[in-house]
Amino acid sequence: MTFTIVSLLPGTQNTNGDAQNATVLETRAEWAGIAARTVVVERAAELPSEIDAIVLGSGSDASLERSRDVLRTMHDELRRWGTEGIPILGVGTGWELLSWGVEHRDGSSLEGLGILPGRAVPRDGRVTGDVVVATPRFGQLVGFENHARAYVGAEASPLGRLRAGEGNGRDSGQEGVIMGSVIGTHLHGPVLAKNPAFADALLRIMAERRGIGYAPGEQAVAVDAYAAAARAAQLRASGIDLEPSD
Amino acid sequence: MRYAPAIAVGKLVRIAARLRKPGGGSAIPGLIVNRIAPGYLKRTLSGFPQGLVVVSGSSGKSTTTKMLVAILRAHEVSIFTNPSTANISQGLTSALLEQADWRGRVPGDVAVLEMDEGHGALVMQGVDARVVALTNVMVDQIDRFHDSEMVAGMLARIAARAGEAVVLNADDAYLERLAARVAPGVAVRRFGVSAEVLAAAPRGLGNTETSEARLDPADGVVVARVDGASAVLLDGGVERPIGLPARGIHYAVDAAAAYATARAVLGERFSPETASAALSSIPPVFGRGERVRIRDQDVDFVLVQNPASYQLNIDAIPVGTEQILFAIGSDVRDPSYFWPVDASSLGRVSIVSGSKAAEAALMLAYDGVAIDRVEPDLGRALDDFLAAPAPANGVKTIVFTADSMRRTRAHLGLTEAE
Repeated sequence: MTFTIVSLLPGTQNTNGDAQNATVLETRAEWAGIAARTVVVERAAELPSEIDAIVLGSGSDASLERSRDVLRTMHDELRRWGTEGIPILGVGTGWELLSWGVEHRDGSSLEGLGILPGRAVPRDGRVTGDVVVATPRFGQLVGFENHARAYVGAEASPLGRLRAGEGNGRDSGQEGVIMGSVIGTHLHGPVLAKNPAFADALLRIMAERRGIGYAPGEQAVAVDAYAAAARAAQLRASGIDLEPSD
Repeated sequence: MRYAPAIAVGKLVRIAARLRKPGGGSAIPGLIVNRIAPGYLKRTLSGFPQGLVVVSGSSGKSTTTKMLVAILRAHEVSIFTNPSTANISQGLTSALLEQADWRGRVPGDVAVLEMDEGHGALVMQGVDARVVALTNVMVDQIDRFHDSEMVAGMLARIAARAGEAVVLNADDAYLERLAARVAPGVAVRRFGVSAEVLAAAPRGLGNTETSEARLDPADGVVVARVDGASAVLLDGGVERPIGLPARGIHYAVDAAAAYATARAVLGERFSPETASAALSSIPPVFGRGERVRIRDQDVDFVLVQNPASYQLNIDAIPVGTEQILFAIGSDVRDPSYFWPVDASSLGRVSIVSGSKAAEAALMLAYDGVAIDRVEPDLGRALDDFLAAPAPANGVKTIVFTADSMRRTRAHLGLTEAE
């Protein structure tokens, strides 16, 4: 048994190192003694028949339509895998493309794949900064956001509650969206490396579907200490003072 | 006379800053002069007898600027230029003050300035340049620049200040699109690589979007071949062999940029032989890579500023280098954009340091790099690293971002290189 992790469209959707979340899943699986491979998919023909997780990162607005058109050719597979409970992590514009769509400031809009509820809408100015999200399933997540749009329609199923940052905006106090194991978030870059509990929760879902167990490997302990220090330093540097998470 | 009081204040502040922090450059005098004499920077930049040349872009601008200065000086043109760490407005004014007489006049026939792509558009408001050279568009420091369109927009505003010529990288699709919008009467000059050179670049050229077609040698200066630290430029159908300061296609591209820009600046006075000789005589290690003698040992400094230079410079560190200090400082707000870089060839890092030490360690660990120690205190990391026995293989190597470089230099009492 080998975990197959799909890194979707890293050619256009990897501005911030979001695609490396696939590497994080693969590496942690291997540390746990589970064979794993990352498959880069730029076209529908490259999709493996059996997969265990999908990572779709953020790109520039110029590539939104091009990426959407490619994703449309994989629509049926993505929807089926999402329904079957396979973890799909969409970050930034990658998440927006999985949603109902993207509304632009000039009134035009781009239809998404409709796999996640809600849509991206214009916001006043870009937001760049640190985010802390309390999530019921993955613990407290720390990350960095950089986006020029808000997100509406996730109110019934947000990824979590904001403790710092702007997240979905429009005074929702929420960040991200989650449907089963399909997740959209503004937390860009290697969010799974920075938040190993999030990565391990996804790996447990992957393992369960395969009828095997998952426990973090020995090497993960040392590396997770770096992640803990990085989270602490980030919170310290940005002056976010939080009570211990509940 | 009008700037004399401001200049006097600036120079005094500079002396005070030097007394406080020996060896360290300071932007404070520039900040003060910009405040009390806001027209000084603009007027001085516009006042050089043979004009102003600006080099900007995401990556390679320091090297290109240094190469261009070397070529122009070889043509006996007297030059004012800025240290690469002073490429935003306060730093520029500070650099001018360093050379200015008491009335604020700065010697030099031509000013050649390396300009930060983010601040350049602002600094260049109301300043007229003769020639603007643009190296490439890469997404550098994502929290500052968000995306490539934004970087291209800022470079377009800098290019709009050129009165005579815009020199640009024909392999960069963003810059090629910018060429179509250059004002009438302003010439577009180009440089680029041959199909052979592109094919030999293991990870491409690093541009956000590489142009479909290669530059026709009839339309500009082409890097025909690169072999280690030597290259052949094709200029007007004539092959011009040159030596590079170090191995790497990016140095050859920088050399072509400097060569094409010097041609645009000098016109009739340009000599291909003088230019080739000047490029070939640039010291072997400078700019991004620098070998220094500290505490009786050789140490290599490797500066990383954006993902492309990070990847190129990591690739250039010999495999098996035993002792590496790796430091990311507070200049990198969010290191996410470094994650696509593959640093696995480092194998093992002795100490990871800087204010972003934990982030750096996390990134290296997932690249499969073994880490002996994480020490966020850079001073302590440097002292311990330098005190360790000499490596059996290679040279002790310090990989750092600009902020960690400045702190390293200050800690070791090294002055800023021009």
